[in-house]
Amino acid sequence: MNVKLFVLAITLIVLFLVIDQIRRQKMTFKYSLAWFFISLVVLFSAVFEKSLYRVAFLAGFKLPSNFIFFLLFVFFILLSLFLTLYINEQNSRSETLAQTVAILEFKLKELENRIKRKIG
Amino acid sequence: MSTQRVLIVVPAYNEGRIIGRVVKEIKKLYPDFDLVVVNDGSGDGTLAEAEAEGAKVISLPYNLGIGGAVQTAFKIARDGNYDATVQIDGDAQHDPTYLMGVLTPVLKGELDLCIGSRFLAAHSVFRSTFARRIGIRFFSFLLSSMTGIHLTDPTSGFRATGKNLIRSFANYYPVDFPEPEAIKIATRLKAKIGEVPVNMRKRLGGISSIRYWNTAYYMIKVTLAILIDTLKTGEKISDER
Repeated sequence: MNVKLFVLAITLIVLFLVIDQIRRQKMTFKYSLAWFFISLVVLFSAVFEKSLYRVAFLAGFKLPSNFIFFLLFVFFILLSLFLTLYINEQNSRSETLAQTVAILEFKLKELENRIKRKIG
Repeated sequence: MSTQRVLIVVPAYNEGRIIGRVVKEIKKLYPDFDLVVVNDGSGDGTLAEAEAEGAKVISLPYNLGIGGAVQTAFKIARDGNYDATVQIDGDAQHDPTYLMGVLTPVLKGELDLCIGSRFLAAHSVFRSTFARRIGIRFFSFLLSSMTGIHLTDPTSGFRATGKNLIRSFANYYPVDFPEPEAIKIATRLKAKIGEVPVNMRKRLGGISSIRYWNTAYYMIKVTLAILIDTLKTGEKISDER
């Protein structure tokens, strides 16, 4: 099988999946941007492979495949860094929520007791 | 001094066997102060046992860790316009007869953060393990070299906090193993920090939040947190709304 066709097919599948997830409202546009961007880069370099080779040699890579692996590593490192940040954001939000709920519950209980004392 | 409002904070996680006794003891000694138990998502009878002794209980929906629990109490204290909070553990390790000693410097306005040290007491019954004493020494050294303030027991959770610092801590408080880092934050906020002797007893219930392999995480996390806090720009506590 032709490598170029293979790469194109995989990339198009990824792109399709991402668009479909947005359509189903399971992924917001904000978090799909990275996937869009990388898919387009891969599509571009698959179609215009000469430009990929040129950039690889300019960057000092002897083999274009090494350059591709390097780019993949960078992409995944950045992606996991952003995912860690995202998880942290969610954590601190849910912590604040938990505290707020507990405080509300506490104040409600206080209020109930005060009303009970007044009535009873 | 009697007009100042004090909130006694008792963080508790699965202390059902002992919390009733702790609440009873504190209420008997300090009937004029408000007392709140922060039930940190306990799976046992902590809530029921504390309420049975007439304590007010804030129940977190799930376990946040000691820092998250204490911060909840700071938020309550801020909203209720309290002049000081004093934190005393729910496992009966902290001897409540020393509570007034920890609180007084804060009520008098001499300190913003007053820490009860188990190592200042002349005849403390409490004997820490060797490894733990080394750890505490290390944090003492780290904090004093970063801030110039020498404290003998920076990991102690028996501490009183004044009004201005309550507001800062309600906004931000470290999530896990908060004690030494909170001191670093307080120094950055130009708070006055000091220590008084307290007696700590043998743990009657529950388990320390610091044990086994957690120790390594504790040491690394707190050290990094203190070092990274030096990179944060300092504002004064009085500057905050």
